[in-house]
Amino acid sequence: MGNGRMGAGIGRDAGIFLVGCICGVASGLFGVGGGVLLVPLLALLFSFGQHRAQGTSLVALIPPTGALALMAYAREGFVSWRTGILLIPGVFLGGVAGGLLAKKIQPQRMRQVFAGILFALGAWQALEAWWR
Amino acid sequence: MTLITILLGLCVGVLVGLLGIGGGVVLVPAMVYLLGMDQHLAQGTSLFILLPPTGLGALREYWKQGQVDWRAGILCALGILLGAYGGGLAALPIPSRHLKGWFGWFLVASAILLWRKGQLEGRARAGER
Repeated sequence: MGNGRMGAGIGRDAGIFLVGCICGVASGLFGVGGGVLLVPLLALLFSFGQHRAQGTSLVALIPPTGALALMAYAREGFVSWRTGILLIPGVFLGGVAGGLLAKKIQPQRMRQVFAGILFALGAWQALEAWWR
Repeated sequence: MTLITILLGLCVGVLVGLLGIGGGVVLVPAMVYLLGMDQHLAQGTSLFILLPPTGLGALREYWKQGQVDWRAGILCALGILLGAYGGGLAALPIPSRHLKGWFGWFLVASAILLWRKGQLEGRARAGER
């Protein structure tokens, strides 16, 4: 397990676990998987290559990591089960297509475009919430 | 509406595989703006969508290329499980409007991190040549 390239050991493990905790807080707070933070953090802090960071992030998203947070939301009635069930198959099938596509193209440009869209979307949402 | 929802899932899925993310970061604003959901409802529903291993198909493609660090992935999963519960409890009492604003800032910060990572890679690749 692991490739032992960079400072393998308890310190690195602890650091990765801590990064996981931070991504988890964001995950519960904002209802996201946490991968959007995990991918850049693994790359910036632990010098993962781009494909490796993305593959590893997908591992972290396989177990039902949001289960405890989901229970907290469900208790308050903040879950639309029907919409969720309609979205799940598409996300799975699209994921296979995206994974195949990622091997063929250089995802760097793609990610910068995505970052740009995310930035615009976030700024818009933040301003809208602030103004009203 | 049902068709839009199914198509939305497919589009988000392509991003999941392409970028190695969970998809929630796209799903939440999409549900708020396209499906007209409240911020809390969108976040809770997004967590529900992320419950089954939707990224499994994409992971298989990365695994075949040997691009997976299982140890790091499992450690992160444990951290996320614990952190997410705390984050979820913190989010519930926040008024929807404020939460929407915070979500916006979260997107901005994620965008900057993703962009910065792209820049570092570009520089590393230029150095290799």
